[in-house]
Amino acid sequence: MGEFIEQILSEKKLAFAIFDHDLILNNYSPNFGQISQVNTRLKEKSIWDIFPELIGSEKEVTAVLTKSQKKYQLEKICKFTNDSARLSYYTLTLLPLKNQTVYTPQLLCIVADTTSETRLEQEIQQQKYEIELLQASLSGYGQYLSHKILGESEKVKKVRKFIGKIASIRNTTVLLQGESGTGKNLVARIIHQTSMPPKSPFVEINCASLPSTLLESEIFGYEKGAFTSAVVSKKGLLEEADGGTLFLDEIGELPHSLQAKFLTFLETKTFRRLGSTREKKVNIRVIASTNKDLEQAVKNNEFRQDLFYRLDVVTLRLPPLRELDEDKLIIAKHFVRLFALDFRKNVKGLTESAKAKISNYSWPGNVRELRNVIERAVIFAEGEKIDADEIILAEDKSRPQDSPTVDIAAQGITLVEIEKKLLQDALIKTRGNQSKAARLLGLTLDTFRYRIKKYNIPF
Amino acid sequence: MEKRIEIRKKICMLGAFGVGKTSLVRQFVFNKYEDKYLSTIGVLISQKQLPPFRKSDSGRIEQLEFIIWDLANIEKYNKMTKNYFRGAAGAIAVCDLTRAHTFEEIDQLLNKFLEINPKSRIVLAGNKIDLVDQQLIEMERFLHLSDSYQTTYTLTSAKTGENVEQLFVCLGNELLKSE
Repeated sequence: MGEFIEQILSEKKLAFAIFDHDLILNNYSPNFGQISQVNTRLKEKSIWDIFPELIGSEKEVTAVLTKSQKKYQLEKICKFTNDSARLSYYTLTLLPLKNQTVYTPQLLCIVADTTSETRLEQEIQQQKYEIELLQASLSGYGQYLSHKILGESEKVKKVRKFIGKIASIRNTTVLLQGESGTGKNLVARIIHQTSMPPKSPFVEINCASLPSTLLESEIFGYEKGAFTSAVVSKKGLLEEADGGTLFLDEIGELPHSLQAKFLTFLETKTFRRLGSTREKKVNIRVIASTNKDLEQAVKNNEFRQDLFYRLDVVTLRLPPLRELDEDKLIIAKHFVRLFALDFRKNVKGLTESAKAKISNYSWPGNVRELRNVIERAVIFAEGEKIDADEIILAEDKSRPQDSPTVDIAAQGITLVEIEKKLLQDALIKTRGNQSKAARLLGLTLDTFRYRIKKYNIPF
Repeated sequence: MEKRIEIRKKICMLGAFGVGKTSLVRQFVFNKYEDKYLSTIGVLISQKQLPPFRKSDSGRIEQLEFIIWDLANIEKYNKMTKNYFRGAAGAIAVCDLTRAHTFEEIDQLLNKFLEINPKSRIVLAGNKIDLVDQQLIEMERFLHLSDSYQTTYTLTSAKTGENVEQLFVCLGNELLKSE
């Protein structure tokens, strides 16, 4: 190749290569390897090895080779390397080679280095996207999460508003009050996620789940030798939660002996591990929750008044489902969609009677109960819409049994005798119809038959 | 020694800007993570072989190599974008678990991608699991997307590497099954 052509190619940051009819590299400019970012030996390499980005475009490459397509181009290509600072870009153009002396088709490949233009474009785009990402991290996630609290009623809107306000204040203690199943845990997690930096810890403990002594060591940690089994020192949950949130579920169950110690911590943000004389300071937000009436607990001397006042600074009362009339169906429909997708069932909604049943029920177990009822209904649903009889409520379950009673004779009774009696009664009640008798006892027909045979019950 | 059948497939990384497409590729290909966000322009090409896979019906061993097209955020859909999508056997559709709108964008992108490659396989990725509380993830969105595209989803963290290899292997298995 002439020296001046090389000069032109280098000046214009261009390179070329010629591939034969088998798409094997035939000829190329000296700068071809550098611009096309191929570091291996080029000779006799196929186009697919040199430009793996052409895999998937076999049809187009062949069409250009056979001149049924004029050109094929891929722009702004970069072979990704481990070093992002040294990425370079090129545009790849494939053309049929117009060479009268060669009869077999050949492919001309022109590679243009576009690194400087692409980097400029990248810098402009980078600024725009960085701003958008920052805005999203400041507001988007919080708004997104608060919509996990379903419903459109004023009470639900208030809950969302509360979370929005509390998110900007990181160190205030929050008390969440509400019946079981109203979403206290969910709200605590949302407050944490919306107010704390990413990756900050969220540590939760249920105060009713551990005995008093264990709870103290769990929360405050201990030093080696603090008690018989303390063979090594251990961090407590306060230290684990440093820089994040400690969520104390069922704070009303916190043993009286621990309440004073916890109050001291809330006021000073300092504590001592069990068996230690050294004070530790942590920076955490405490969120406490309870389904108890803490004011009443204070009156009953079950909960310290000073701790109650310390906790009752920012309090959110989560409404029970029965107070969210208009939202019951919104939440129910959400769960229908969720479980239908999860179980891949073609269930699209609720019949009018099912809606009425959901609306008229008091939902003592709140959203948790509604979720479980809908999950079951979706599993057993036979049509596209869930009907009222597929919504099995706790009151339905309790109705037929009317709390069966068994009299225990003074001399005692064995479970086998009770079972025999139940099997016999079921047969009498159904006039010997074994299928119906099995259903009455919640057994399969096979199990029922096996049992009456086992006890030699005449049938 | 048993002969391996080597198969090379083009796959595309799809998703809005900043969802972590490049970070997933970097983690998968180089076992590396960079904290600084650097927006992608054009397309970054990388290659990686997957672990060998024995086909249950024929018993033969297949070795899949991915040619990964990490695409920049596509704001304008044009001829160039079509060329980028063309010939892809599959795609990893990435959403950012901390940004709700990225789920909506993925739906539009997938529609366009499947117009060009109707037979390709899709796997969904919910990225940045390290930044969110798993209990707060709106699973409905994933279930809805995976139902619409008859596919599976994986929750990943390009930062910690959690489930990243599994995500690519999952797409590999889907591709080999459909062969």
